[in-house]
Amino acid sequence: MTFSWSANFRKKKALQGILSVLPVIFVMLFIRFYPIGEAIYRSFTNWDGLYKNDWVGIKNYIEIFTDSPFWTLLRNSFVLLISVPLQIFIGLMVAVLLYEEVAGWKFFRAIVYVPQIISAVIIGYLFRIAFGLDGPINGVLRDIGLEFLSIEWLGNSGTALFVLVFCLTWFSIGWQAIIILAGMTKIPPSIIESASLDGANFWQRTFLVIVPMVARTIEYGAIMAIVWTFTGTFAFIYSITYGGPGYETSTIDYMIYTKFYQASADYGFATGLAVILLIIILILTFAEMVFTNKVSDWE
Amino acid sequence: MNKRQIMTKVLIFLALSILAISNIYPLLFVFMNSLKDRTEYLKNPFNLPNFKQLAWGNYETMISQFQIFRLFGNTLFISLVTIFFLLALGIVASYAFAKLKFIGKNVIYFLIISSMFVPVQVTIIPLYMLFSKLHLVDTHWAVILTYLGVFLSEAILLMTATFRGIPDEIIEAAELDGAGYFDILRHVIIPMGRPAIILCVIYYFIVTWNDLFTPMILLTNMDSRTVMVALASLISRYSGDPTFQFAGLFLAAIPAILVYAIFQKYIIKGIGEGSTR
Amino acid sequence: MKNKFQVFVSAIVIIASLLLATGCAGTSQGDDAVKLTVWVNGRDSFIGPSEQKLAQDQWYISQAFKRFEAANPGTTVELVVQSDALQAHQTFRTAGLAGNAPDSANLWAGQFIFALREVTQDITQYVPKEDLEQINGWDTVTLDFKPGSPIIGYPVPNNQVCFFLYNKEIIKAAGLDFEANPPRTMEEFMAALETIKNAGYQPMAADEGQGYTYNFFYIASYWWVQQNGLEPILAEDAGQANFADDQALLTALNAYQDLYTKGYLNQDAATSADSWNKFLAGEVAMIPNGSFGVKDAQDALGIENVGAILPPNISSDAKIKDSLIGGPGQSMVVAKNSKNPEMMVKLLSFLNSKEEVLKLSEFQTIVPVRKDISAEELKLQPGTIAAQMFEWSQNYVFWVDNSLSPAVVDDFNKLLPLVLTGKMTPEELAAQLDKDKGK
Repeated sequence: MTFSWSANFRKKKALQGILSVLPVIFVMLFIRFYPIGEAIYRSFTNWDGLYKNDWVGIKNYIEIFTDSPFWTLLRNSFVLLISVPLQIFIGLMVAVLLYEEVAGWKFFRAIVYVPQIISAVIIGYLFRIAFGLDGPINGVLRDIGLEFLSIEWLGNSGTALFVLVFCLTWFSIGWQAIIILAGMTKIPPSIIESASLDGANFWQRTFLVIVPMVARTIEYGAIMAIVWTFTGTFAFIYSITYGGPGYETSTIDYMIYTKFYQASADYGFATGLAVILLIIILILTFAEMVFTNKVSDWE
Repeated sequence: MNKRQIMTKVLIFLALSILAISNIYPLLFVFMNSLKDRTEYLKNPFNLPNFKQLAWGNYETMISQFQIFRLFGNTLFISLVTIFFLLALGIVASYAFAKLKFIGKNVIYFLIISSMFVPVQVTIIPLYMLFSKLHLVDTHWAVILTYLGVFLSEAILLMTATFRGIPDEIIEAAELDGAGYFDILRHVIIPMGRPAIILCVIYYFIVTWNDLFTPMILLTNMDSRTVMVALASLISRYSGDPTFQFAGLFLAAIPAILVYAIFQKYIIKGIGEGSTR
Repeated sequence: MKNKFQVFVSAIVIIASLLLATGCAGTSQGDDAVKLTVWVNGRDSFIGPSEQKLAQDQWYISQAFKRFEAANPGTTVELVVQSDALQAHQTFRTAGLAGNAPDSANLWAGQFIFALREVTQDITQYVPKEDLEQINGWDTVTLDFKPGSPIIGYPVPNNQVCFFLYNKEIIKAAGLDFEANPPRTMEEFMAALETIKNAGYQPMAADEGQGYTYNFFYIASYWWVQQNGLEPILAEDAGQANFADDQALLTALNAYQDLYTKGYLNQDAATSADSWNKFLAGEVAMIPNGSFGVKDAQDALGIENVGAILPPNISSDAKIKDSLIGGPGQSMVVAKNSKNPEMMVKLLSFLNSKEEVLKLSEFQTIVPVRKDISAEELKLQPGTIAAQMFEWSQNYVFWVDNSLSPAVVDDFNKLLPLVLTGKMTPEELAAQLDKDKGK
């Protein structure tokens, strides 16, 4: 049965819509849009957090691009993004295994989120010790005969970034698994049962049946993970490598934080970095959404 | 089951076990070391504590002198109120973005989502000034409002995506039955969107419970401060009371774990319940 | 389920708000009552390592405030423990901008508080002459270290100094005697380390990559400053000369590197986090540390087993000799928006008075910045490390990282581990510092 919605009805719906989002807009206006707007403005000044506030145009941006470790920071931010597909993939595996109730699934499901509850400083410290020159990882590598791999992991940029990617992935597996599990609740169990009755193996069940049905959830997880990698990993980097050696594992977001802490209070520079970071994430998110739209076209 | 299947099952169990052990180790580390005295810990942070001399005193002191339960109360207030408003504002806004049509919807949605991309550190100074003018500095409300600003966009992203998946026919059927705006929310959207809502409750409780940065700047007075901020003062550049702090960290982890343990069942149990209405 | 949940949540919110409302019922004060708010670090200044385990009214600082309140009726002092010493600087800055900074905050002396000059007050007129004469370190709280500039705070009564701690058993086992014959020149020092290494022990350990526990950095910067004094360094920092031309810097950095290349340091000095643990477990002969680490070392290794020596002199014609890095690294500044600066200065003077400093010494081992306290008054046993620190503190070189401008210090900290392990040459570091000055 179809209805022709009257103009009144449509207007009523539109009004409901606007009133629904008004409270949120109101809150965001004061708590987000206004400070972000001010940050964008300050990036064109030499603000020091106090009274110095002269307009300097794009001087901060020029300094960022030519006279700072920006390109290293950019490279590092992007390298850390490797953790995103890794955590989604492993999280997906864990989610499917928990869903299919493998042996001990209740215990695993209870434990899987625990890393998210522990403070990043403790986790960072443990990773730093684990990958230290005399740490357990090197110990195990020596014991199984791979002694050439027992190096100073945090001592050079490639392996230090690897340790960071490892840590960020490990930390996020539980979160990805839980949101995928939440997304899987809308899949009628009959579909999965009939798939396995049809002889589909684990991989086929996962990627041909489950993934298409939780595509939106995975997309959400990917966007959140990208944003978090770019804006929320300061505590981890600080406690594992301190951004070092030198600037080799510092990211753009890390630099923003350190600039805010430094006594030199170069807040114009820091907000400039934040604006650049915002633009980068916007581009990435846009690209990601275009990509997933294209993928869903193939179904 | 043939041999290959058994091998696979064993390997999977092994992999999951390694993951599980690594997941719980940090918590064990904190607990183990909370029972050492400071020198024992500094000499070797990875040994088991001396079982003849477990430092339960750390916990005693945490509860009595340090008044950790009062700190829990402060943090609990912030977390619960934040979640309440997050859901109250977020659910209705997400319903509108997902199901209603109005002018400028996409632009507003885009602006709200992209505000998520700016770290809170960048905005804290203007926020402090704003709260200062409103005499909200050093109150819980400054922290709550900041959290709302930061988390609404993420919550809306999640819930809008979830609500979009609710079939329109169900809503139309409800409207035919005479359901108004709030009825649709109560009887259709929330039950069917429950997994996402529970997810928000779990995630944002844990995030606000553990957060250090925002309350450290906006809520400094000793009576109102949150548990993580108070625990942070125990360690410094040159010295610290790590084992005492660990006792506090372990106690502070318990409510977060409880919330997860209680609510995670509801995510999985939601199958079928919402869709039969 | 949603209804029940909502009711539950609303109930909690209501109960919590009621609790809060009763808790927050502020005490109204008359107009002539004075209320001072003071931020103090949770440790390393007025609050000792384990004091937070006691009830708050048993802390030294709480009792000191009570004594002050009793001596000044009508005044109340509110204590706020800063949760993070570094973050406190940013919070104070922002609070100052908003006009609600506390009357006084515990911040790092030197450049760290000079950067806050616009939100701190000139208290010169309130400081009693006696304090100016009897307390060391006024230059660290006088803007730009220039005598005659505004004074914006008091030094914290606790002086901290940096030296080497050593494990007496290992040193003896290597055949050396640091009590009778401490190495005083670079050559003796290197020789001693070589002897220890040949005897099969780990000579030294350091964690340079941790950022702020760069204790070895303090020793290296001492070698830099002692050669020509601090003035040329400050001049370079101000842009009047180049770090790249500073031979003292290059010499010090080369010595710093040498210790690593000769194998006297742990190989992962740039990234490790367990050097202090190793020293406390008795696996390392020496470690750069300072007054802040003595108690832990003594608890772990036994009082009779821990010794302390001054850093060696890098050359025989250094301008400053037999000294070390130290000084009142922390201060109590007075905010510009403080409504009671006179009373606040009175409180700071009180905390720095001889009686109060002696009382503080009952809670913590401190090295006073007052000139008129003797070792006997502090009840220091001769021959102990405490007595040694007291003697050394009479003649210190002020912290280099509190003296240089922030951009230079930040890069110095960041890049030193690279120099240590040879990934960067001293010349490259000096060139980078030249780029940073004046920023």
